[in-house]
Parts: sequence; C-alpha cells; structure tokens
Amino acid sequence: MDILAQLIVSGISVGMIYGAIAFGYQLTFSTSQTLNFGQGEALMLGALVGLTTVNFLIGQSIATPLAYLLMLPVVLAFGCVQGVVVEVLGVRQAIRTGSESGWIMATIALGIIFRNLAENIWGRDALKFPSPLTETALTIGPVHIQPMEIAITLGTLALALAVEVFNRKSIYGKAVVATSSDRDAAGLMGINTRLVITFSYALSSVSAALAGVLVAPVTLTGANMGAVLGLKAFAVAIIGGLSSGLGVFVGGMILGVAETLTGFYLSTGYKDVPGLVLLLIVLSVKPSGLFGKKGIKKV
Amino acid sequence: MLSVSNLHAGYGKVQVLHGLNLEVPRGSLVTLIGANGAGKTTTLRVLSGMIAPHSGSIHLSGTDITGWPSHAITRQGMAHSPEGRRVFPTLSVTDNLLLGGFPRLTGARARGDIDADLRRMFDLFPRLDERRQQLAGTLSGGEQQMLAMARALMLNPDVLLLDEPSMGLAPKLVEEVFATIARLKALKVTMLLVEQFAAAALEIADTGYVLENGRITVSGSASDLRDNPKVRAAYLGSAH
Repeated sequence: MDILAQLIVSGISVGMIYGAIAFGYQLTFSTSQTLNFGQGEALMLGALVGLTTVNFLIGQSIATPLAYLLMLPVVLAFGCVQGVVVEVLGVRQAIRTGSESGWIMATIALGIIFRNLAENIWGRDALKFPSPLTETALTIGPVHIQPMEIAITLGTLALALAVEVFNRKSIYGKAVVATSSDRDAAGLMGINTRLVITFSYALSSVSAALAGVLVAPVTLTGANMGAVLGLKAFAVAIIGGLSSGLGVFVGGMILGVAETLTGFYLSTGYKDVPGLVLLLIVLSVKPSGLFGKKGIKKV
Repeated sequence: MLSVSNLHAGYGKVQVLHGLNLEVPRGSLVTLIGANGAGKTTTLRVLSGMIAPHSGSIHLSGTDITGWPSHAITRQGMAHSPEGRRVFPTLSVTDNLLLGGFPRLTGARARGDIDADLRRMFDLFPRLDERRQQLAGTLSGGEQQMLAMARALMLNPDVLLLDEPSMGLAPKLVEEVFATIARLKALKVTMLLVEQFAAAALEIADTGYVLENGRITVSGSASDLRDNPKVRAAYLGSAH
C-alpha cells in the first residue's frame, strides 16, 4: 500500500510535465487547428538555454536557487521567441494557403533542425542541471518526495492557471477565446487573428520551455531529452482532449501514474506501453478525448 | 459614408458580383434586396473584408479600404452583424458585447464610455439584460440575433452592416427585430440592411437597391421601389 502511494506520487510529477507540453499543443490547436510537432524540442531548447544561463550565473558566484530564479525570465523570453520562429517559418504559410498537412512536415523539420543545432552547441552527452532545491527527499507519511517534484507540480499548475485567468479576465485573453471559437467572426470584432495565432505559438513554446527547466534538475539534460517527452505528451493531448482546457493535466497524471505502476509491477521494459494502449482505447471509445467538449450550439 | 464602385468579387473562380455600385450616405438606412443567390451576403462579406474583391473600390468615410483585412476594416469603423449571427457560444453575453468593442478597449479606436454603451445595449435589448452572465450558446435564436446586433453596435460603428437579421425567426420576433432597426435609424445609425423580407425592409429604409445575379438592376428611394411594378411583382409578393 505504501509503495502504491509512492508510485502514484512519483507518477503525478512526471504526468504534470506531460500535461504542460500537451497544454502547449492545445493552445495552438484551439486557435489554428495546427500544432508544433517540435514541442519536445522546444522543451529541450528551453532546458539547455536554462542550463547555460544558470551555469553562467553560478559562475558569477550567485547561489544556485537565486540563479535558478533569475534564469526563469530568460528562458520564458527565449521560449516566446522560439515559438514565434516556429509559427512564422513553419505554420503561417500553410495556414495562409489552406494546406492541410504542410504544417505537420514543417514543424517536424524545424524540430529536427533544432535538435541538430542543440547537438552542435551543447554536444550529444547528457548534462547535469544543478538543482535549485535540496535533493534530499521529504518524507510525508509513507511517501518520499523530492522537493523538485513538488516544484514541477506547482510550476506547471501556476502556468496553466495564469493562462486561464488571462483568458477569462483580460480583453486580449477573450480575443484568444473568440479566435478559437470562430476565427472569421473574431476578425469582424477587429481582432487580428493571425497575430493571435502567432501569440498562441509563443505561449505554447513558453509552456514547453518552462516544463524543460522544471524537469531538467530531476532528469538529465541534453539534445535528445525532448523527443520522447513530446511524443508522450501528444498521446496525453489526445487522451485529455485537444479542446479540454485543463483536462490535459488530468490526462498527463493518468499516463504518468500508469507508467510508474507498469514500471514497478510489470517491468520497466513495458513502461511506454500503457500510454499507447490508453491512446488506442480513447481513440476508439471517445475520439474527442476524455474531457473533450462538444461545442454548445443551439439555433 | 460608404461608397462602393464597380465591385467585382466571388469565391475562387466563381464570380458572384459583376460591377456593383452602391452608396450609403451618413445617417441613412439603405437596404439591399434580392432573391437567394443574388449575391447579397457576398456583398456584405466583401465590404467587411471577409473575402477580398477582385476589382473595384470601397471607400469608408473617404478612406480607401479596398482589399483590407477584416480586422483593419472593423477598426476603421465598419461593423458587420453576419449571416448566421456567429456569436461566441462559450462566452457570456457581456463578454460577447465587450469583444464587439475590442478596437475601443485596445486603443485602435476612440474609447468613449464603454460602460455607458453596455448599459445602452441592455436598454435597447432588455432580454439581453436578463441574461448578462449566460453563455451566448444557450440563448434562443432571437436572443442570439439581438446579441449579434448589439455586439456590432458596441464598435460605435460609422456603418453597420446587417445580414438577414430576420432569418429563421418566428414572426413575432421578426417584428421585434424590425422595430429595433427602426429605433436605431431614429438614433441616426448608418446602416446597410440585407433582407429577404423586402416589403418590411423597404418600409423602414430610406433607399433601396435590387440585386439580381450580382448586378444592381433597380435603385432609388424606398418609396419609389415600393411603387415600382416590377419590384412589386418580383419581391413584394403582390401584383396589384
């Protein structure tokens, strides 16, 4: 029973990372019906830029926790720019010409280019990301939990909450929601929907980059850290529903817990199986995702 | 106020409008009538930039807006209450109205008093007042039509384009919609009204245009059009 609780807690923090990346998929899918298949690479770039920044700051004899905090705005700004680059180079033309699939290849291609770039700048080896929090696990009842795992959960939730508040409270957020719901009608409101789509790509990469620097201290950091995460998060986005708001975080936790349970009770060799099985089940039973909404329409 | 000359437009290779000329003077209510498929909705869609014209020109308050994207045309002062209402179903009535004022709230257009205008809309459309926080998708068809019109008015537009505001509504609601348009006319809102109920439209309009196969065939004061035997026979449903 204690082990079960431990596995669930560990699964949740992994799941929150999947959730944050999937949240990024959802942000762009809702405004443009396209998404960045290089999300994993956006996460990887965020983590590596964060690593370089943190190491630089530590080199200036700044304490690690403070260096980590100072690094965050740098990484978020970088994510913003990276997302704009992806949208401008990979997606905009495809949307303009009404191409159904151009953006798929373009974003995959950009992802590969980013990975190559990272291999050349940071090398192929996995690097150690200095942890801002103590690596001694806290013991709560039967469960051991790393402080960084708590930070992952709080950090990703804070991001999602900030986006949700922005969408509900600010007129610009409402413009994003309007664009998601009816792009032509949003244009008639004077909303530059092309700019909204660019913005959603920026925000999508910001969420991936944040996930990157949150997960980096508990895993290894390197050019190849993003590919598998990006793919699993895609499964989570399908499981949670690409139109479901916060459902992706629940989807992420389901997958994270399923993985740790499988890893322990079956074999770590089967760790990647539950996500794919879940994906297949959801696709055949409820294709709009577990929490996917059908639009409210009444005439 | 709104001036259209020799407008050609269509979808892809299918041309719908063949050299349309149209004037909407400041403070007037102009109606565009015609059979289904004549190009009425296409005309409004070109005017508000939802589709780009092939040739011709559109001037709004003296500014050439030909070929501008719809968000820029809206910021310039053209509001469009589109066919099918197109309210944002997952947003509240109030949020829909605020989005109608988006250019004013974001500095792209003179701000004025947003709160006073919201109150004005709720006075003009009391049914929306009762449903301020309700999601627009849960409103009835008539209420959605009211919301679409109120949302367009929140722009403080120089010209308001109304596309078939009576479509799909029960007769009593159609009456209500026309009463509202008459009230807006009394408030000197400049409007271009596209309608299938030609008789009712010509009853309240100052000027009318008849659109046939993408061309204006008859135009003149609304009362002249009401008396025109050809218009009566084709659109007013009475030959006597």
